[in-house]
Amino acid sequence: MDKKLKGLLILLVSVIIVVSAVFVFIIDRHSEYFTGVLYGAAGVGLFMLLAKILSLIQKEGKQDD
Amino acid sequence: MIDFALPPFIIIFLGAASIPLLGKGRARRIFLVALAVLCVANVALLKPQTGWILPILPGVDLILLQADRLSLIMGYIFALAGGAAIVYSISTVEETGQYVCALLYMGSALGAVFAGDFFTLYIFWEIMAFSSLGLIWYEGSRRARDAGMRYILFHLFGGAALLAGVIMHYVNTNVITLGPVKPGVGYFLLLLGIGVNVAFIPLHTWLPDSYPKATIAGTIFLSIFTTKTGIYMLARTFSGVEAVAYMGGAMCLYGVIFAILQNDVRKLLSYHIVSQLGYMVAGVGMASGLVTEIAINGSIAHLFNNLLFKTTLFMCMGAVIYATGKNNLTELGGLAKKMPVTMVTCVIAALSISGVVGFNGYVSKGMVIHAAQLLEGGHTGVILTTALTLGSVGTLISFLKLTYFAFFSKNEEIEAKEAPLPMLVPMCVTAFLCIVIGVYPKVLYALLPYQEAALHYHAYEAGHTFGVIQLLLMTVILFFMLGFFAPHDKITYDIDYLYRTAGRGFIWFCEKPLMGFAHAMENGVFKIVDMFVRFFRDPIRGPRVIIDLIGVALIKPFVLLFNLVIHPLYKYYERDLEKVKSQPIEEPITSVSIGTAVLLVLLFFALYLIVMLIHGWLKLIP
Repeated sequence: MDKKLKGLLILLVSVIIVVSAVFVFIIDRHSEYFTGVLYGAAGVGLFMLLAKILSLIQKEGKQDD
Repeated sequence: MIDFALPPFIIIFLGAASIPLLGKGRARRIFLVALAVLCVANVALLKPQTGWILPILPGVDLILLQADRLSLIMGYIFALAGGAAIVYSISTVEETGQYVCALLYMGSALGAVFAGDFFTLYIFWEIMAFSSLGLIWYEGSRRARDAGMRYILFHLFGGAALLAGVIMHYVNTNVITLGPVKPGVGYFLLLLGIGVNVAFIPLHTWLPDSYPKATIAGTIFLSIFTTKTGIYMLARTFSGVEAVAYMGGAMCLYGVIFAILQNDVRKLLSYHIVSQLGYMVAGVGMASGLVTEIAINGSIAHLFNNLLFKTTLFMCMGAVIYATGKNNLTELGGLAKKMPVTMVTCVIAALSISGVVGFNGYVSKGMVIHAAQLLEGGHTGVILTTALTLGSVGTLISFLKLTYFAFFSKNEEIEAKEAPLPMLVPMCVTAFLCIVIGVYPKVLYALLPYQEAALHYHAYEAGHTFGVIQLLLMTVILFFMLGFFAPHDKITYDIDYLYRTAGRGFIWFCEKPLMGFAHAMENGVFKIVDMFVRFFRDPIRGPRVIIDLIGVALIKPFVLLFNLVIHPLYKYYERDLEKVKSQPIEEPITSVSIGTAVLLVLLFFALYLIVMLIHGWLKLIP
């Protein structure tokens, strides 16, 4: 991926998350609204872990039969 | 208003019968488009509470058409998605037989969802299995043929379980109309039979095995009907079963993790069918008590939406394979500028399936997860909410992977041009509907089985929308930052590896030990028969050989003492005896004289008379 685009994307998402965090924890004081971020992080971590475990039973090749 | 109630399968079956008469030219294309339109119009004109009943035996009626809100919404989406698939196939399908198979498949699926009793359902269920097999085999390769065999074996097993369950249910209750089933063996068999079609784990392996190996158009038809008919049946017969809800959660996660690992685009989409079915199965399983209406609505809404975005995705990937001849993500890339319409429709469908706000997947996934949150008592609600939400994360990961590596990653060498118009039109229509339902979900709510409950659901409630946006953004940022999920030329083993190993073991057992045992038994029986034949052809020969053998045994000890005297004589005698023993049955042997035979018969007759006389069964007349 283009580095500029990647940087822009990361910046954009970071800003949104920071604004969300400010809204949730400081202005609205409802931390349960922040569960989406937690689910996202936990989900990506979980699927990385599962992919790593399943890679142990993968083999090289293009066809599955 | 026209009062029109013709079962939709009749129109499609007539279409299938007419296709071979139309050649391969323009007439066939026009006919196919007209048939798709006619089918949609026919289903649209059906009214709730209409039916067709065919009495076959006293007290047993086959209900060929039973229209209610649940069957009607299934009919609408089957006719719509099936019609789109028919139009799409015009560019890619040449063989008349493939059209016949596709139309029989579509017609039988429509027959199954409008069936009002278990027997009618079973008949259409089996037609579906065999006609869909044609769509796999028409691909022509050996891998398609093998996958087709595995596919039909699974479906024959499922069909047999379904039939056994139906018969047991009928014997126990004397009722064949579709409806909830009482617990028992029949209940379990019915669940098993439906579970094969719904791709319950571990009965799911036929799906990612066969769908990617079917023809381009065949995969689209396959992705529409079989599994969704299963979900419909599950909603009719097993709603509110907690185990089914847990199975849905498991399917959601299982399908998505295997989808993430795939390199073949159609295999990735096939695993996503399993995952998305998980939402529907979970919705059906949760449908009890206060959440019944929202859970069934969520399940059926997701089925409706899933058919729109999944059909679009399969059509897009079919167009990519059609244009490039490649189906692995490692070989694709750089198609965004070369196939812009395909790219846009694919991105819309990917956003929809990922549950992005503003698209139809967001609405229906939200309904199912909302139903899970409303579940009371125990941990079921928490477990299902977590599983289904994590499933959304995995879905977004795999569709970021699919769209990015198929369209946006750099690939200077790839050559392709945009798909032909008949392929693009249905893709655009279904993608457009994904946006329409996402932006204005009331269009869908009006069709759902529990309309009132649906209209009370607020998809764009601030907290929910905000949470989904966070979840999706977090997933996007981590996906691109970590770069962990790039495709590789690797094969991931699924449970079917165990099935195939077990299958090979079974074949080895049949060919080696079992056949060896059979041969040994056969030889033994032949020897016994041979012995009897020898004996009855020459009854005297046997005792004579025995006497000779006894003679040899008696003489042998004396040989040691009188070897010098007897040996020359004994040697010849033993040689002659071996000759007698090895005399084949075919060679002329000494036959029993007629006199001896008559004597034997008389002897047995005399014995018979004596026995009769002793027991008093024979009375002598004085």
